[in-house]
Amino acid sequence: MSTQTAVNSNSPAGKLYECVRNHGIDFFVSVPCSLLGEVIEILEVDKDVTYTPVTREEEGIGILAGAYLAGRRPAIVMQNSGYGNIVNAICSLTNYYNIPIVMLVSHRGSAGERIEAQVPMGDAVKGVMEASGVKCVSVEHPAELDRVDEGIDWALKNEKSIAFLLPFSFWKDDDNYVPEHR
Amino acid sequence: MRRYEATREILNAISDELVVCNIGHPSQEIFQLKDRPENFYMFGSMGLSSSIGLGVAMAQDRKVIALDGDGSVTMNMGTLATIGLVRPKNYMLIIIDNKAYGSTGFQRSFTADNLRLEEVATASGVENVVVITEHDEIESTIARLLKADGPHVVVVKCEPGMPDGIGVIPIDGMEVRNRFMDAAKSGA
Repeated sequence: MSTQTAVNSNSPAGKLYECVRNHGIDFFVSVPCSLLGEVIEILEVDKDVTYTPVTREEEGIGILAGAYLAGRRPAIVMQNSGYGNIVNAICSLTNYYNIPIVMLVSHRGSAGERIEAQVPMGDAVKGVMEASGVKCVSVEHPAELDRVDEGIDWALKNEKSIAFLLPFSFWKDDDNYVPEHR
Repeated sequence: MRRYEATREILNAISDELVVCNIGHPSQEIFQLKDRPENFYMFGSMGLSSSIGLGVAMAQDRKVIALDGDGSVTMNMGTLATIGLVRPKNYMLIIIDNKAYGSTGFQRSFTADNLRLEEVATASGVENVVVITEHDEIESTIARLLKADGPHVVVVKCEPGMPDGIGVIPIDGMEVRNRFMDAAKSGA
């Protein structure tokens, strides 16, 4: 794969990234997911942000908390399964100290999933987020990116974390998409 | 030498660095020895002191020390891989290795047997790894290392145990956070 990948601002990943950057989010960590490949490629080449991959999502929340304490606006890019690895850090670090983390979360186990084992955590993730005090917003198509705009504004203003769940339908960018929220 | 005595020597070596203090007794000892707005005390999230410190270091240019313990680093050992990847020049991780989980009742930790965290740090790509075993070498070694570019990983070997009379930190999380954020901003 080329390391010279240009940002395709018309792709779902490019549109999402532009939307997040427009809010001044300037410090990112990531853990890979096949759905997030293009977002991670953009992060690897964008010299205007601070970025590192991390070994596990929980470590990433620690790094992002430190970045916020030093005046930056942090975000994590991860799969929904990773939320299971960060619940204690969210409750006892970022919620406790009012540190807002923006989470761009690919939603495995959503409609279109082919791997059965992804479904249980895919079904559980919204409830686990809500139970651990993180607002959860599903964005099912790039046409709904206004939800990301509103959500980031809310999170930064109130110093609360917010997760955007991005299912298969978001990444497919189907022209015939009809909003249909479960 | 116990963690308390080692911590006192470490704090003698610091000046205006931002310091992230590990959860539990380590933060309580630091608060008693040398409270300052540049100290961030963790009240939860065991394992993440090194990571919080790494984030502070990546986000700005001032020097940052993460004061951590062997049990906590073992819980988040991937942190050494990330430090070895990012290698921020303004970052020092000090692991006080007392071979025990002190805050939970001094249960034996992994470094009491086979684990050598200094070797994991080296194998992760950190070039400046220093082990200190002597009490009277702590202050001078840390002071010398702070003058040079990092990242540094310093492992201070000591014995389990702590003095009597170390109490809980009397300020709350938001006060810890706000004064640390102000201190980080003012030094930028």
